[in-house]
Amino acid sequence: MVTVRDKVDLLVVGSGAAGSVFAAEASAAGKQVVLLEAGPARPPGDLVSSQLWARRQKWGGAHVEEEGDHRVGHNFNAGWGTGGSTMHHYGVWPRLHENDFRTFTEYGRGLDWPFQYAELRPYYDRIQAAIGLSGDATRERWRPPGAAYPMPPVPVFGQGRLIAAGFSRLDLHTAPLPLAINTIPYRGRPACLYDGWCDAGCPIGALGNAQTVFLAEALRSGAELRNGATVTRLLTSTDGRRVEGVEYRSEDGVQQRQYADVVVLAAFTVQNARLLLASANSHHPRGLANHSGLVGRYLMTHPAVSLYGMFDAETQPGFGPTGGQLINQDGYDNKQAVKDAYGSFQWIIANAVKPNGLLGIANNRADIHGAQLKPFLQRAVNHLGVMTLVAEDIALPENRVELSSRRDAFGVPLARAVHNQSKPSAALVAHAVRQGEAVLDAAGAREQWRGPQAGMHIMGGTVMGVDPAKSVTNGYGQSHDIENLYIAGPGLFPGSGAVNPTFTIHALALRAAEHLLRNWP
Amino acid sequence: MQPSPQRRSVLKALVLAYPLVSGTLLLSPAQARLRKLPLAVLDAGEAADLEAVIEALVPGSAGAGAVHFIDYQLARPAADSLLMLRYLGVPQPHADFYRGGLAALAQHSIDRYGKRPAALPDPALEQLIADLIADDTPVWAGPPASFLYFVWRSDGVDVTYGTEDGMVALGMPYMAHIRPQQVW
Repeated sequence: MVTVRDKVDLLVVGSGAAGSVFAAEASAAGKQVVLLEAGPARPPGDLVSSQLWARRQKWGGAHVEEEGDHRVGHNFNAGWGTGGSTMHHYGVWPRLHENDFRTFTEYGRGLDWPFQYAELRPYYDRIQAAIGLSGDATRERWRPPGAAYPMPPVPVFGQGRLIAAGFSRLDLHTAPLPLAINTIPYRGRPACLYDGWCDAGCPIGALGNAQTVFLAEALRSGAELRNGATVTRLLTSTDGRRVEGVEYRSEDGVQQRQYADVVVLAAFTVQNARLLLASANSHHPRGLANHSGLVGRYLMTHPAVSLYGMFDAETQPGFGPTGGQLINQDGYDNKQAVKDAYGSFQWIIANAVKPNGLLGIANNRADIHGAQLKPFLQRAVNHLGVMTLVAEDIALPENRVELSSRRDAFGVPLARAVHNQSKPSAALVAHAVRQGEAVLDAAGAREQWRGPQAGMHIMGGTVMGVDPAKSVTNGYGQSHDIENLYIAGPGLFPGSGAVNPTFTIHALALRAAEHLLRNWP
Repeated sequence: MQPSPQRRSVLKALVLAYPLVSGTLLLSPAQARLRKLPLAVLDAGEAADLEAVIEALVPGSAGAGAVHFIDYQLARPAADSLLMLRYLGVPQPHADFYRGGLAALAQHSIDRYGKRPAALPDPALEQLIADLIADDTPVWAGPPASFLYFVWRSDGVDVTYGTEDGMVALGMPYMAHIRPQQVW
């Protein structure tokens, strides 16, 4: 049995960063908006300060198969519940740089974006004002043009001061980390307490996420949010030229159909590609929006490595934002500075850490066990310093999301995410790690070690571009094939750059939502 | 700078909820172990082996109730699980991962040391752990041994040091924004 719901103007699949911006803009313009969120509601009372409780905010849906020598780490990067992955994200919001937008033209690597930084800049500025960023633009000597941050930077605790001195001794620079975290009360939201629980979600709303700003605006304007709504298929018109809505399973397992004038697919990188591929029909035998054959292709993840140092001095590693306190992007703008390597990289410095958790203190020395463990932890909770490398990935068509032969509980094929690291990217990471180790030496770390390389953030798979033969959407995320289907989120990125993507996701979504409202299909 | 404590409440401990005829019994994993509450997923032999290995990896984790915590999480809906394993790309049900791993561990222990892990003396148990770390497990029909080491060690750390009491024991202030409003 299928329950058919009344048709609405705009249907948004996913309530995270991108979906919430679309919903807010369309609702404010008077459109009737429904958001379908597969995960549960996430009221502030659910955001318990605990690394264990934090796990409920990570992916809890259909299994994602992963292959390759540098996996994207889907379950750690993807969110589960209202607000999507913004609810566990760290609020690190640097901008992409100007040369990130034309890597093929300038370096013969990856893909160009369909527009330049100057086009996106006003949207970065507007999002920055709406969410409220803290930082010090004058000290970010590498920062592309943009408005000054509306709030002063976060304070620097012991580990930040020590590591910053190491950078300085090597004639490298640090600046306050640009963060979507309030350092002063901002637009009705309080200032941060700096107690290092960002990873578990911020119940006081000091950290900007979907629920604190855009989703709240959307709901105030009349948008409807349905939790526990798992979309299983996109529906097209009989001639295949328009998307008419979606089929989904509600929390009680009942199959539902929701029709809409426009559908925005904002279910994060892997699920967006999966749903498009799984919605194949006679008019779209390779999947929706896939005339190019590129749905799922150019999957990217930032190679990330954390370096750790043990200092004699007190470092206060449990204090401050989980995302860090300082940033270094000295070499960002020269993507060919290192022989045989390619790409930009940044350092995020002085991440707050707790004893347990995947990125916690104990797991960064997984070799220590038994009687040696507690003394190590007792020392580390007062003397550990952390800095994290975020490096550029190269968009390659062979890195991809595809459908598995296995299916989920609703009969939808599972996603398989295949990602391998290119040699130039691996060489870049090796170079950057050597630099980081030198920094920790210069900072006076008595001993140091590094964690394994992991995939941080997930991008690509539904890349935007000018040429319909070489991209899935146009520069607004509008399908080249189906004009009333928009795709949103980091899956649109034709290149990864080496910065955390959430700021760019918001800016792209705002630009696209305004385009949609001006050109309602 | 020290964060302000005024706007916080404190997370005291992990709490497990066991259904009773007349309501729900809320216990910490340590209390559940002390009361010898029945396990829902693991059998007695699996529980004993798991407790022996986790205690060797993270001293204090047995008394903190690591096995009751793990068993409780394995028995609840996957999306509600608080196990770190949910981050690591292992297909559900996670009970299969733990039980498969424990079966492989027990067989390896018997083959090489003549006894199940729970019955091994400390030196042999330490050697068994060295086998896991090095994947020195020639006949092994379970998840990779070194991966099991990582997961079980992390579970032990969760229960022993992931609570307010555990962090205080390390000399680290907990500084919770908010305490649980519902059972674990």
